[in-house]
Amino acid sequence: MTPIVLLANLALSFAALAALCLSMNRHHAAAFTAKPSRRTMLGLRAAGWAGIALCFAVAVMAEGWNFGPVQWLGSLSGGALLVVALASYRPSWIRPAALLALPLALVAAFTL
Amino acid sequence: MGTGRRTGRGYRAGVAGRVLLAIVGGYALAALATAVLSLTLPLEPAEAVTAATLLSFTVMAVVVLFVFAARSLRVATLWLALPVGALSLGLWVLMRAGASV
Amino acid sequence: MRNGLRQSMAWLHSWAGLVAGWVLFCIFMTGTATYYRADVSRWMRPELPVVQQVPTPDDLARAAETAVAHLKGAAPNAIAWYVTLPSAADPAVALMWFTDFALPPGTARLDPATGGPPAVRETFGGDFFYRFHFELNLPSTIGRWIAGICAMIGLVTLLSGIITHRRIFADFFTFRRHAKSAQRSWLDAHNVAGVVAIPFHLMITYTGIATLALMYMPWGVLTAYKGDAMRFYGETGQITAPLAPAGKPGTLAPVGPMVRQALERVSEPLEMVIVEMPGDAKSKVVAVFEEPHGLSHQHPQVAFAGATGTLLQVLNPNLKPASKTFTTMVGLHEAHFAGPALRVLFFLCGLTGAAMVGTGLVLWSVARLPTPGAAPFFGLRLVRVLNLGTVAGLPAAVAAYFLANRLLPVGLGARADWEVGVFFAVWILAAVYAALRPQASVWREMLAACAALFLAVPVVNGLATGRHPLASVAAGDALYLWFDAAMLALAGLFAIAAYKAHGVEAPGRRRPQAVAPLRRNALEQA
Repeated sequence: MTPIVLLANLALSFAALAALCLSMNRHHAAAFTAKPSRRTMLGLRAAGWAGIALCFAVAVMAEGWNFGPVQWLGSLSGGALLVVALASYRPSWIRPAALLALPLALVAAFTL
Repeated sequence: MGTGRRTGRGYRAGVAGRVLLAIVGGYALAALATAVLSLTLPLEPAEAVTAATLLSFTVMAVVVLFVFAARSLRVATLWLALPVGALSLGLWVLMRAGASV
Repeated sequence: MRNGLRQSMAWLHSWAGLVAGWVLFCIFMTGTATYYRADVSRWMRPELPVVQQVPTPDDLARAAETAVAHLKGAAPNAIAWYVTLPSAADPAVALMWFTDFALPPGTARLDPATGGPPAVRETFGGDFFYRFHFELNLPSTIGRWIAGICAMIGLVTLLSGIITHRRIFADFFTFRRHAKSAQRSWLDAHNVAGVVAIPFHLMITYTGIATLALMYMPWGVLTAYKGDAMRFYGETGQITAPLAPAGKPGTLAPVGPMVRQALERVSEPLEMVIVEMPGDAKSKVVAVFEEPHGLSHQHPQVAFAGATGTLLQVLNPNLKPASKTFTTMVGLHEAHFAGPALRVLFFLCGLTGAAMVGTGLVLWSVARLPTPGAAPFFGLRLVRVLNLGTVAGLPAAVAAYFLANRLLPVGLGARADWEVGVFFAVWILAAVYAALRPQASVWREMLAACAALFLAVPVVNGLATGRHPLASVAAGDALYLWFDAAMLALAGLFAIAAYKAHGVEAPGRRRPQAVAPLRRNALEQA
């Protein structure tokens, strides 16, 4: 059970943090060679925070109030490490990787 | 701290004083707070002791940060002496009351 | 106070971090290795079969009898005996006893079937890392105090770092590898390592202090319990009610039936049997079980009167909020609850912590690089050698510890101590080497040496035990496969670091700049 939940959490937090990362001028420019428009920026930021909240909900629903928050924080750290690695070495991969992570999270959530 | 000249005997003495105050004052306040809270928290004794002890490390960390953030060593010493004095007095009263019961 | 708070906190952060950094790095590294304590112990005893049977109640009862028979001869007047029973991870019985709490305990390992020493090489295994991470291989009281003081300084460093770093969210994902100054890149790396796992760093530091809270902060127990720690622990519900010694000798009833009876009452695996005051008429036998799955670190316990074997108490911890908070802190610190996947995350977070401390230490010296041509001042040279000796020296010593386990003769007397001796010999050697070599190339050389040593571990293991990856696949031995993979990953990591480390701390990669306002500059130029 737990590894699947963790996978869903990791994928979700990765996608959420990738959105937050891309909402920032510097990283957006590195990935797309241009700064984001204000609307894009706000949209990405909203999506990112929503993803983090959703991640928390998934963790708590699947693991309970004891383990859920632990797993949520753990997966946020793990996801952030991945985003930082991509942002420093392959910024153009962030978007495709995040778009790939979303269905992965969905599949993992449905096999629960 | 950090502002002003970074050399000279006065600066070094100030740094040494803050380090000393942070360590001694920080531990003293944390220890006194633990002792007083252990006797006064409205919980079972075991619960009060546990809660007070766990909290004490936060107290110490905050005191250390405060000592280094304060405008001057004298300000830090004065502000630290107040709670240390009050808690010492409180502990003395509590211990006397406990001994006479 | 223009900018005063941030500046004073930056000052505190860099100096507190420097003072405790070397010890904290060692604590983070060996503590992180402790997440795989049982696996390391198992790997370091290659004589054990790939799959171990789970011991039956009869096995456990017999093992307890064997242990008690041995202890009656070895330590009849002990204050307490601690008997760790065989498990699926370790088939031996591990004994520990105290005759005086001020002295180090006596220890022994037995084969439960024969009562003699196990037919396995003598080693401390992963227990060495576990003990080192809070006792630093010093006498336990001194070691624990040093570890605790450093953890407290670490907590202050973390908090002051958070206050200093005002662009936490803006810089969250930022690691400029090709920044104009080396200092910039190191600062980015330090920020990322610190911020990304900040909940973990705060949790592990605070809970680490809390696990030994009563030693560091005994004043609550001293005032409210007149220093009677046992009565305090008993009232919190963490241990069974203490018995006062009778003061006259008594004989211990057979422990086998007590073990069987305890096993009928608790469903968790039995971990340990403790005999308190074994020679006294009021001796007590306590069966301690593994924690049920949960965050909180609470062991179910069953206590018996030692002289008669009658049941005294069944402790199924149902703690009140403050005690529950304490046991939850201990549980979070130890992460026994974490399955394999979550454990990997904890492990990575631990490595991130070590990286945070390591980059912080290097940053201190990079930020104080002398202008090209000028000689480094004494303090800088000292910090550099200690940095190298810790950040590159400790991993080399860890790899050497694994290698010594495979290379030292199996029948060597005091073999476990020799393994530890090799660990420290390589560490001291690394520090001496760091002091003697020129700064421009020494990082690369030492990191490359770490890579070579970690690469040597699976090679030497394959040659010495024949349990190379192909054999492990054939035998279905996941532990050996994972261990080899982990060693290769570490070797690769150090090889990349060695490749990147070229001239990292050599003069010239940094624009000449005054040393004093470095923190402010570094943070505000962002």
